[in-house]
Amino acid sequence: MRKKLLIAAASGSTLLLALTACSTPAGSDSASDGSLTGTGTGAECVIDSAVPIAAAFSLTGAAAQYGEGQKNALELAVKDLNAVGGVTYELTVEDDATDPKQAIQVFDSFISSGASIIIGPTLSNTAKQTDPIAQDAGVPVLGVSNTAAGITDIGDYIFRDSLTEDAVIPQTVKAAVDKLGVQKVVVMYANDDAFTESGYQAFAAALEDQNVEVADTLTFSKADTDFRALLNKAKQSDADAIIVSGLIDAAVPLVTQAREIGIDTPIIGGNGFNSPALISGAGKAAEGVIVGAAWNSASDNEQNVKFIEDFTATYSSAPDQFAAQAYAGMQIIDQAVRGTCSGERDDIKAGLGDITDVPTVLGDVSLNSNRDVEHDALVQVVEDGQFVILN
Amino acid sequence: MQLFLDGIFLGSIYALFAIGFTLVFGILDRLNLAHAAVFTAGALVGIEIVTRFGVPIWLLIPIVLVFGAVLGILIERIAFRPLAGRHDAHFAGLISSIAFGAILLSLLQALYGADTRRFPADAFPSTRVEIFGATVSLLQVIILIISVSLMVVLTWLVAKSKLGRGMRTIAENPHAASVLGLNVGRISSTTFALSSALGAVAGVLFTLNVNAASLGIGNAVELKALAVIVVGGMGSLPGALVGGLILGVTEVLAVNYIGSSWRDMVAFGLLFLILILRPQGLFGARKTREV
Amino acid sequence: MLAEYSSLITLIALTAILAYSFYAVLIAGQLSLAQVGLASLAAFTSALVVPAEPLFGFIPPLVIGIVFGMFVGAIAAFILGLPVIRLRGVFLAIATLAFGEMVRIFLINQSWTNGAQGLSFSKLVGPWIAWIALAGVAYWFWRLSGSRLGRAFAAIREDELAATTMGIDVPRYRMVSFVIAGAVAGLYGVLLAHFSRFADPNEFSFTAAVDGLVTAVVGGVTLFIGPILGSAFLSVLPEVQRVIGVDAGWIRPTISGVLLLVVILFLPGGLSGLIPLRKSTKRLIVDPSIRPSLPSLPAAGSELVNLSGLGKSYGGVHAVQSVDLTVNAGEVLGLIGPNGAGKTTLVNMVTALTPPSTGTGTVLGVPLSATTKAHRLAQAGVARTFQQIKLFNRLSALENVLVGGYRVTKDTLLRRLFFLPSARRAEREAMAMASAQLIRVGLGDKAANAAGDLSYGDQRRLEIARALASHPSLLVLDEPAAGMNHVEAESLSELIRSLAADGIAVLVIEHNVRMMLATCDRIMVLNFGEIIAFGKPGDIARDPRVLEAYLGSSGSDEDADAASALASENLAQVSADRDDAQRGLHADPDPDGVTNPEAN
Repeated sequence: MRKKLLIAAASGSTLLLALTACSTPAGSDSASDGSLTGTGTGAECVIDSAVPIAAAFSLTGAAAQYGEGQKNALELAVKDLNAVGGVTYELTVEDDATDPKQAIQVFDSFISSGASIIIGPTLSNTAKQTDPIAQDAGVPVLGVSNTAAGITDIGDYIFRDSLTEDAVIPQTVKAAVDKLGVQKVVVMYANDDAFTESGYQAFAAALEDQNVEVADTLTFSKADTDFRALLNKAKQSDADAIIVSGLIDAAVPLVTQAREIGIDTPIIGGNGFNSPALISGAGKAAEGVIVGAAWNSASDNEQNVKFIEDFTATYSSAPDQFAAQAYAGMQIIDQAVRGTCSGERDDIKAGLGDITDVPTVLGDVSLNSNRDVEHDALVQVVEDGQFVILN
Repeated sequence: MQLFLDGIFLGSIYALFAIGFTLVFGILDRLNLAHAAVFTAGALVGIEIVTRFGVPIWLLIPIVLVFGAVLGILIERIAFRPLAGRHDAHFAGLISSIAFGAILLSLLQALYGADTRRFPADAFPSTRVEIFGATVSLLQVIILIISVSLMVVLTWLVAKSKLGRGMRTIAENPHAASVLGLNVGRISSTTFALSSALGAVAGVLFTLNVNAASLGIGNAVELKALAVIVVGGMGSLPGALVGGLILGVTEVLAVNYIGSSWRDMVAFGLLFLILILRPQGLFGARKTREV
Repeated sequence: MLAEYSSLITLIALTAILAYSFYAVLIAGQLSLAQVGLASLAAFTSALVVPAEPLFGFIPPLVIGIVFGMFVGAIAAFILGLPVIRLRGVFLAIATLAFGEMVRIFLINQSWTNGAQGLSFSKLVGPWIAWIALAGVAYWFWRLSGSRLGRAFAAIREDELAATTMGIDVPRYRMVSFVIAGAVAGLYGVLLAHFSRFADPNEFSFTAAVDGLVTAVVGGVTLFIGPILGSAFLSVLPEVQRVIGVDAGWIRPTISGVLLLVVILFLPGGLSGLIPLRKSTKRLIVDPSIRPSLPSLPAAGSELVNLSGLGKSYGGVHAVQSVDLTVNAGEVLGLIGPNGAGKTTLVNMVTALTPPSTGTGTVLGVPLSATTKAHRLAQAGVARTFQQIKLFNRLSALENVLVGGYRVTKDTLLRRLFFLPSARRAEREAMAMASAQLIRVGLGDKAANAAGDLSYGDQRRLEIARALASHPSLLVLDEPAAGMNHVEAESLSELIRSLAADGIAVLVIEHNVRMMLATCDRIMVLNFGEIIAFGKPGDIARDPRVLEAYLGSSGSDEDADAASALASENLAQVSADRDDAQRGLHADPDPDGVTNPEAN
């Protein structure tokens, strides 16, 4: 019994000490003494202290495969931007373990440690719980993968550079109708995921607008990997194309199995399909798949080409759309900081309100009055193992 | 017919996963929730072996069997044996296996990252076969054959071999078994080893079927497998096979006729029905009350 | 610094409330994992009900949400409980997990929950409200642990069958614990949604259910403060890792997993096992004036048990064949016979643990049929001990006896919540009765020891004390002298005789034939399920069929002893002494003043 008490006392005091020792981690008092404002603007802007950038991503848990890429891209972006000179960024990336409760605590600690801006979190449903906290505390947030409706409505400190499904999909559907003459489709989507469900809603609306007949709507679970039963059912509808709103984990097996059971009609996907894994995973089956997206990996935009090269060299795998949007997010923040030449929270917020046609790896982007991103969406098709623009 | 066959193939994988569960539960009265992590580990390690060393699939299966067996022994030693004799061994075993599973998954993430991994594209020929007017892939047939053979071997082992007799004795009365001189520890280890070996191979077969393995695949199948073992009867090996096949077929039929959003309800609805009407499952034995 | 941790502090409280909903079912020994699904139902349905403005101008919206949510949780738990309540162990866990998944799928497919995209809620809950709610829940469970209901839960957890024979309606209480868990889960769901401003059905998943269970088990289910400890530990762990500087990524879940494993393996009883239990401050209460007056026992000689042609067969095996028997108040009836003669089966029928196959019987006015429940008989005044000791091993000796007094005590939980003096009085009365029983069997000094730690002989005596605590009219003892030496057996014999003198009818199964001959008024001898002899001890001792039965039996040590006892020369002497005692003076009928002083 005494030994147990000893263990309890020891662990209890260690925990207590750890907690109390946390008051202010190094380098966080910059927020209070205003040394984050600098002189000059734009390329000539010089800020003495490092601007603290905080990011909350899902590095473990269900969304880990997206979070990893986001973190890597962000670190790359910070490295590239720090090399420019004049303004230095100090990046802290924390894991929310795909648990909103942890994300809330991470945001709390970022806010009190003086982060100038928070990037993330990975999932929209988490953002709905964390962003209000940042809004209340007056800390700007830039979502780089939140596409759900209502995110920027949370408040005027909330921005995002991830193009919503509503902005991408109508274009995709129009392209399918115009270029492929699609008149009757089967729609498949994962109805237990916020991203794919909102994607479905965008598809449904766009299809109606274009007067395309929906022969059947089939749902699956985001954890599913065997779609043969569903696909056989889809086959029966004899449609011109199959429209899928799913994440990449579903996209690869779905496309592979579709071809396997003999479905030759075009498959059209949303943002979730926009990943190099589609090609590496589905191989030949991916040929001809049409993907509506916010980022064109094949774009010859100089920044984009360099980004893909560097990312692949540093991390031994090609970046996906999540990574691209994270990188672009840092570019946008840099623009905002240099614009007002200040790393203060409110100044960054003001700077973000001024983002117009800023060149990034996504192309030229602007943030509109609703703090949502605007830039051209693309319709891609897989040709010879590459994503190319559909024409 | 196409539906039926799709269901059989799907169900055979559920069954292979479930049979590991039910073996440990039937013999040792423990629910091993690290099984899902073993399933995932089998898949990811299998992919690594094929990618790194170019091992053909038929050789991979025995390698993964051994790997799974080793994991099983570790699970028994670390998560279950220290709890033997404790009055709360049931609850505690549940939690310790959960903890072990979580550790295993984190280590897998450390080794392989969080991305979905796949077998190299040429690992298996994608020939298609015609059976009774329905098209299935050769791979699916092979998976079914391997699943059924493994289960038959296991059933034979438990019913006829000396080891099997020892296992069944322990299932009846562990205390008496040790008094009779049976090495309960060694038999427990072997049971876990067998169970995990099957679970790991199930992971490989599952991944071959859909060519995708991520850290979460175990969880998704685990719940369905729990439904399978209840429907088939806890501790019954043929029950796990039949239960798995029934679940696979009913799911496929449900998707086709009722609608896919409610498909998962089928598994759980079936589960509930069985628990209420025939709690011992289709093949299980009703436990008598002791006074 | 507090502001920095405001969310953590709130989440610790909320997670603790979820852990309490698991605690509520775990203390009754049920592994139910439905709580997260119930919380989900409560959270989403409350969105339909919680108004934006205070109701009638002054009732806060959150209060409406809480009341509604707890109500929904309780009702849903009840409905779920109806089909699953008789499931045990892992089956119950799987069924409730399946329920949780069904709720999740159902809610995802509903339009009023907005599916996977979830609902927004207004922020109504902060650290203060969360901790006040937690304090309320913890307080309730604290008061539960000393009440009759709390002890009944503990009894069910430890040994359901023994609990039934003490008059505890086990299915009913299991349902009660289910419903309580449902209400607490509902509270959690509503509070969580109104704290994090958002909820979607996927948050209340299988993983969340497992997390809740882990929290409750890590905290420990033996002390009411367990859930709070578990929640604090598990919520603070990631934060500590962040602060210490462990790299974000796979290494954190690894450390968490290892710590969890360590806690489970080395701390049975969870974190609350680290808190040293005050060595039962409960002192025995020996003041006789505190003992309440109990209803009087039936008049001596009145017929309490009447069996007519009672039999039990399992398939082709006739365990008991056509037994006719009566037992009267104040008499000691012995049941002897070789091993496997059907004695325990007969007694199981008398106590309604086994339904009879043939014949009829009435025990204390309750007819024995296929539907008679053991706890009903217990409530009529039947108490028993078991061949294999069925004590509540982890409870103390005193607590065991307190549970035994279930039948003659009233529940005090409601009154305990308000610290009403009548509750304290009722409990002191219960303590006094229990103390008296312990002292009577000679275990007064071992009251605080865990029942499982006692010696074999003490355990047997404790079982008797526990049976006596219910103030039974009929006491059934199944091999009470097993393993006792000569001296112990004699004092047991005296105890039995004094019980009979007090007016209790005692039905005893024993192998110690010498002791039976000395103790019983009548003896029935069974062999192969049939009565082969029935009468006074003297007659039984001289009956050659009885000796033949023991000699011809398959020859356990006890049977051999019995045979030799029967054949021994002292036999006639012993039975002669016995006849004398019956004709002679009685011992003091009421040595400890336990029963009604007005009884003769």
